[in-house]
Amino acid sequence: MLSDFKSDRFMLMLVIGVVVFVVAQSLFFLVKALKRGKQLGLSRDSLKNTITSSAVFSIAPAVGIAVTVLVLSVALGYILPWIRLSVIGAIQYEVPAAEAAIEAAGVAGGIGREITDPKTFTTIAWVMTLGSILPLVLIPIFLKKIQKSISGAVNKNAKWADTMSAAAFIGLIAAFLGRGIAGLGAKTEPGAEIYGDGAGVLSLVAIVSSVVYMLLLELINKKLKWKWLEALAMPLSMLLAIVTVFLVAHFLPDVAKIEWRY
Amino acid sequence: MKKREYIDSVHFYGRIWCILALVVFLMVPTAMCLHFGVWPEAGIVLKGLGSVAILFYPTAVIEVVSYAPLLGAGGTYLSFITGNITNLKMPCALNAMENAKVRANSEEGEVISTIAIATSAIVTTIVIAIFVVIFAFIPSFKDLVSQENSAWSMTFKQVTLTIFGSLAATYFAKHWKIAIFPIAAVSIILIFAGTLPVGTLIFVGVALSLIGAQVMYKMKIVGHDDEKKGTKKADAE
Repeated sequence: MLSDFKSDRFMLMLVIGVVVFVVAQSLFFLVKALKRGKQLGLSRDSLKNTITSSAVFSIAPAVGIAVTVLVLSVALGYILPWIRLSVIGAIQYEVPAAEAAIEAAGVAGGIGREITDPKTFTTIAWVMTLGSILPLVLIPIFLKKIQKSISGAVNKNAKWADTMSAAAFIGLIAAFLGRGIAGLGAKTEPGAEIYGDGAGVLSLVAIVSSVVYMLLLELINKKLKWKWLEALAMPLSMLLAIVTVFLVAHFLPDVAKIEWRY
Repeated sequence: MKKREYIDSVHFYGRIWCILALVVFLMVPTAMCLHFGVWPEAGIVLKGLGSVAILFYPTAVIEVVSYAPLLGAGGTYLSFITGNITNLKMPCALNAMENAKVRANSEEGEVISTIAIATSAIVTTIVIAIFVVIFAFIPSFKDLVSQENSAWSMTFKQVTLTIFGSLAATYFAKHWKIAIFPIAAVSIILIFAGTLPVGTLIFVGVALSLIGAQVMYKMKIVGHDDEKKGTKKADAE
């Protein structure tokens, strides 16, 4: 791993620095929020459940993010994608951003071909960095103003604010579920089809199984009143749904590849 | 500490961390250039930035405006620095607030959302590090996971859907009247514009859902006493 310039000792030190920064910042806000939570009278159980549930919840998506690092590692090595996906980066934007940056650097073959020239590599790193820093400029300037106007609206009419807040969450969920029901997959050359990204059997299995598991776990929780299950219902239903999707993809590959939007 | 004092201090430290993150983030390519002894041509970087910025700058503005009201101040600062908001930080915060039975726009919601996102950021950073090391040193594992159209590869593409499916079960059961319109509208839009980027689709979904909810609120179909309350606060009121 360390013999390649993209993953040498210096690059390793860079990623360690970034990881330490992210963890330090998260710990700072975690401690601050926990102290405030206690002052507000939130129960110890509630705070503990939030931490446990969020930790378990994050494992599967984090593995998905690590796989994106893997996809990008062919062209960019491990370290740059690792840094990108630990700070600012997002799983759905990193691949197109890297494709655009590689194309701009004049390299044919996109993310499937290894970058061997340090100058091209740094060009790509700069393009990807400058292309994604806008939120870090906007947030310090505008966040306080946005929050103040929301707080004003909430104080004016709490019921309306609650309805709007639920509607915004639902709109977000609808966007993702809509993609699973009717979204198109990436266009590919005939004979080189990529499965799993368009709406089809597998996306429907993912949606239906996660909904069913969640409802079942909520029902069990209601009947048996297991405290630990209350916090873990969502990460558990998600993990069970992932296992179901894997079983369908593994044992019924031809059925799993049926997509009505490709 | 009063509510205002706490929120003001979150903004104060949030801004400092944001500026520090900006410096760290810009230092990464700068350090690489110094280390390799090469600097890219400004023209090529600007040309590349043009194509990347068209993709990401409008989305960044939309995301800041759409997510800030839902994540709270601390959660927003943390999420935008650590990334992976839609597929991880946002659903994680939603789940935590739902479990703790607190309202998104209350101070309790602010605290719970921040704890959830901070925990998620730490766990994600550790998991990515572990897996990158495994991928780098065990090539067979790397091949198993990355092979296109394998059961593993197809499964990983569905992880985000399983998150939102689980969330939908909770939210749609409580707010089914609000949910019908946006999910039907988004599906119809996708039939005609199936490759719409996720960022745009989220904006469309949220905007349509807000419009639908506003109309139903005015018609007293949702948000009034007959509707099932989902939060402690609302119950208390």
